[in-house]
Amino acid sequence: MSGSRQRKSDRVGVYICHCGGNISDHVDVEKVRADVERIPGVAVARTNMFMCSDPGQELIIEDLRQGIVDRVVVASCAPSLHEATFRSAIARAGANPYIYEHANIREHVSWVLHGDKATAKAEKLVAAAVGKARLLEPLDPIHVEARRHVTVIGAGIAGMTAARLLADRGLEVVLIEKSPYLGGHAARLDRVAPTGERAADLVSELAEAVLEHAAVTVMTSTRLAGFDGYVGNYDLRVRPVLAGPAEDRNGYVPFHGVVGGNPPELTIKTGAVILATGFRSYRPRRGEYGYGDLAGVVTLPEFIRLFSAAERSGDCLVLDGRTIRSVAMIHCVGSRQIPGIHEEDGDGRLNEYCSRTCCSAVLHAACRIRELFAGTRVHDLYRDIRTYGRGQEELYERASKSGVLFHRFTAEAPPLVEPGDGGETGDFPLRLTVRDGLTFGEEVRMGVDLVVLATGMEAGDIDELVAMMKLPVGTDRFLQEVHPKLAPVETSVAGVFLAGTAQAPMTIGEACNGAAAAAVKAASLLGRGYVELDPFVADVDPALCRGTGDCLQACLADGALEMVEVETEEGAARQARVIAARCLGCGACVAVCPTGAIDLKGWSLKQYEAMVDMIVADIPDNA
Amino acid sequence: MACRDVEGKILILATESCAYPGADSVGQAHSGYPANTYILRVRAPVMFPEHFYLDCFAKGISGIIVMSCGEECPWEGAYKALADRIDRVYRMMREQGLDIRRLRLTAICTVCNRAFLKEVNQMNEIVQELGPPRAQEAGAGDACAEDGAGQGNNQESP
Amino acid sequence: MTSGRTITCDALVVGGGIAGLQAALDLADQGFSVVIIESDLSIGGKMIRLSKVFPTLDCSSCITTPKMASAAHHDNITIFTWCELQSLERDNTTVTARVTARPRYVDEEKCIGCRKCEYACPVLVPDPEQGGFSGTKAIRIPFSNAIPQVAALDPEHCMLCGRCARACPTGAVDYLQQPRQFTVTARTAVLATGFEMTSPGDRPQYGNGTIANVITALQMERILAPHGPYNRVLRPMDGMEPDSIAFVQCAGSRDLSMGVPYCSRFCCMYAIKQAMLLSGALPLADIVIYYMDIRAFGKGYEQFYQTAKAMGIQFVKGKVARLQGLEGGTVAVHYEAQEGEGVSVDNHDLVVLSMGVVPHWSPEGICRVSTGADRFIRTVRPSLSPVRTDLEGVFVAGAASGPKDIVDTIAEAGAAAMAASNYLAAVRQQG
Repeated sequence: MSGSRQRKSDRVGVYICHCGGNISDHVDVEKVRADVERIPGVAVARTNMFMCSDPGQELIIEDLRQGIVDRVVVASCAPSLHEATFRSAIARAGANPYIYEHANIREHVSWVLHGDKATAKAEKLVAAAVGKARLLEPLDPIHVEARRHVTVIGAGIAGMTAARLLADRGLEVVLIEKSPYLGGHAARLDRVAPTGERAADLVSELAEAVLEHAAVTVMTSTRLAGFDGYVGNYDLRVRPVLAGPAEDRNGYVPFHGVVGGNPPELTIKTGAVILATGFRSYRPRRGEYGYGDLAGVVTLPEFIRLFSAAERSGDCLVLDGRTIRSVAMIHCVGSRQIPGIHEEDGDGRLNEYCSRTCCSAVLHAACRIRELFAGTRVHDLYRDIRTYGRGQEELYERASKSGVLFHRFTAEAPPLVEPGDGGETGDFPLRLTVRDGLTFGEEVRMGVDLVVLATGMEAGDIDELVAMMKLPVGTDRFLQEVHPKLAPVETSVAGVFLAGTAQAPMTIGEACNGAAAAAVKAASLLGRGYVELDPFVADVDPALCRGTGDCLQACLADGALEMVEVETEEGAARQARVIAARCLGCGACVAVCPTGAIDLKGWSLKQYEAMVDMIVADIPDNA
Repeated sequence: MACRDVEGKILILATESCAYPGADSVGQAHSGYPANTYILRVRAPVMFPEHFYLDCFAKGISGIIVMSCGEECPWEGAYKALADRIDRVYRMMREQGLDIRRLRLTAICTVCNRAFLKEVNQMNEIVQELGPPRAQEAGAGDACAEDGAGQGNNQESP
Repeated sequence: MTSGRTITCDALVVGGGIAGLQAALDLADQGFSVVIIESDLSIGGKMIRLSKVFPTLDCSSCITTPKMASAAHHDNITIFTWCELQSLERDNTTVTARVTARPRYVDEEKCIGCRKCEYACPVLVPDPEQGGFSGTKAIRIPFSNAIPQVAALDPEHCMLCGRCARACPTGAVDYLQQPRQFTVTARTAVLATGFEMTSPGDRPQYGNGTIANVITALQMERILAPHGPYNRVLRPMDGMEPDSIAFVQCAGSRDLSMGVPYCSRFCCMYAIKQAMLLSGALPLADIVIYYMDIRAFGKGYEQFYQTAKAMGIQFVKGKVARLQGLEGGTVAVHYEAQEGEGVSVDNHDLVVLSMGVVPHWSPEGICRVSTGADRFIRTVRPSLSPVRTDLEGVFVAGAASGPKDIVDTIAEAGAAAMAASNYLAAVRQQG
């Protein structure tokens, strides 16, 4: 390989972090420093207690400003934590931020190794980073025009909130909803716990705002059919949701008829996407607490609907003509499932997480029953009461005061729901047995007319969307953010953000906060009308390219490479050219070039070869 | 020098979006694993040509684990291209008489701690057994090695 | 005392903890100019003082320092630390804050953070940044990753010996420094004033803070921190490695008699986290968490709790009635067990109290925003916009409107920034 264009730097600065003992308790940081300083190309090696702190960063800035170094290696924690920190420090010194390489000597060394081995491995990793750093070149971010336009998928509370905020902020918004309605799950609620607000008011307020907003286009009964492009410039193909199986069929569909023409497909040109696809309410398995087998066992959403239709008079609650003298409400149905105790679903999955909202929802319903119908007894069967938020503990207090009877069970001994037998529990259609932790584990039997299952939240049915947009999904099957604190609404797809319960169970208030947090990121991203992308794209060396076209064959992106006629000293020739904004930076082209003419900026094959050379080389030992 | 090489160096090419944070997660759990492992962060291992692997062995690397994202690779088609390439490298290794167990393609997710440790420990056993790479190794090319080394997918299911 | 200058900006952020920093960054990234005023010597709030954070067990400082640094270096953000907000008034579309910069007795412009004053100072004082468990000097940089890296003199302990002034290479020490007044005018404000924890000092059932080896959770954070006072887990009284550690949950919450009837929201999770870190540091120690309900409700939290159980951390359902100091530093925990024999007593080497979470700041007499019965700032649209206060153009984020964990705080800070930027856009249009 010629490497003709590359000159090796011999002014690499190496900065090694103690991480307050996280690293220096296991790695002899001073020895690493002394040994590394003798590696060819290293101008200076320094250490600091916290390299990420201001004084630590100042060491780097000072050396760059003085011209002592022109390439920087920091050996510290995982690059996901501080690579950006050090790149921006370098930029502050007036240097190009891409002359930087990170050596991970905490997660990959000091936290998994001790003693001499740790020190030796840290030295090798730093040496490898130096090998790469010597070959680093200054790079400039790719400037891409961005559409000041956001598409929000899902018109529940979170989606409508995000759409409204972004439109108010001056961006164009398209709001896509697969159902004919705006409002999502909130529209299936009566009143909201713990505030007691009417869900209908909240949904109507938001729906009115987005429907009337000049900058928001609402598309209901619409689904995503294609996703293409890149940050700032996404093309979304959308299609109407049809009632029958016509979606993917032409001509005669048995028992439906002939598909009338092609369903219109539309392309939305947008800059960013906010996923507000919501959740799915857990459906109990048949027979889970008698659900589906015994009359009078319903889920909480079913109960809320029945209750809202009930007469608000009389001593006892009457549902569907049945007098409810006693009701049992069971928490954690489909949530907090434990391997070995709970049964997995058809796909072998368990919902190990807490659904967060059900405790308050149950208590709110319990209070409403007790406060309106003094004659109806309410038993609340729980594992832990999780009234964590403002106004929620008060709701718990209120439930106790209103005479709700609490029973505590463990995951290992869940309540048993059986048909009533008219025996000791009286003439109730259902009999409930629970080992009650509040009475020192005594077995309590009670007759009830109704059992309400507080069903949790599950990730929505968005497999198609996940596959199309290549979205990351967590082990809980909800959409996964990059980092819960550093990038809580960002996904690994640039310009695609998460809002609301698509990410995790949340209350309405929390979903609105999540939606607004996603909106502010989209507003920051698109506000200027352009975005800057990582410069890690393929690059062709015209001196080496012989125009074989192998790279085009291997390219995984659409239109990231093209062949062009160029004038060379030997006359006209065909050569490959990279269209930077479309290049994904995967490097598939690098591997197939017969002349090594194409390489990845910032992550080049030559740099990897240099790293391997350093790993196999001996490091001069100080000791 | 000779003494050091007894350990045998293992190069790990770990994808930036899956396996590299997976290795970070192992670190966060403070789970120990052999010291002779050198993890390089890569965007997509599909960028490495066949000769890169062979050059590494020629330079004295005893084992290479390609820790990809598997089917969850953010680049559509990249995993297939990578798997095909690794197959070609296996053929070339056999031609050179290198034991193909020295190279392994696997998939490691960001929280695949157990799978990561298993892969690393297995490769370490192999390089301890085989010693430094040299042409015409005893175990090279035999049937057992052929399916023993194939491509593994160790994504831990949730 | 000078009447001081006036600084004009788009948005004022009160509080430089994680909520304030995130709100400031989300505003500044949109091109708005932001001023942060912080009451402490450093930005970073409670979060920068923590060891590791749940449920990822990332080191807290590693998550906080990048946000601190990017705020400190942001072109659109100006930070003032060691400040007191005298008043915050709103008039039409202008928010006016009168602020007092308290004296550090060190000139901020001259100090280069070299710590020579600290090394020269002969006065040893308990280090509040290390839970009081280790010593520091009467003049010092508050902690290693503080921003700004400017020393401050503690006038309560300083003996005016002059050594620091002589040691300072830039002549920054100024024993006569006076408070300075300045004014910030903005179009909008975000209140991110955070929380404080109740003290065991006035809790007779927990010994009024006099029982040795009964510490608060924030003190335990310092003991567990990578750069903590002991560099390992020891109990403070005698430096013994504890074999048995107890966590008392709801030690100041969910109990009207303690003045905190509400749930403090994140104590369950930090207790579990601390228990996990302890069991890593002291694999043979018995660790017990006394609790009423485990509230592990966030993303990945329940799984975290179940992992802790699987690690052998004991969870005992029961309300702790009383702590009693025994000879040799042992602490007797009297509690009513919900399962088993009712009233019980168990002895532990070290007891950690999960105290109640209360507001850090009261707007009373300073700003016309109203508070709830819980004394946190009242929000008027708790469902659709939990960041709205009853004062137009003034928003709230994080624990200022009720206890909140870091994840929820960061989301809410983004939401406050969004609300504030839309407010700014609207007032700009009005001209």
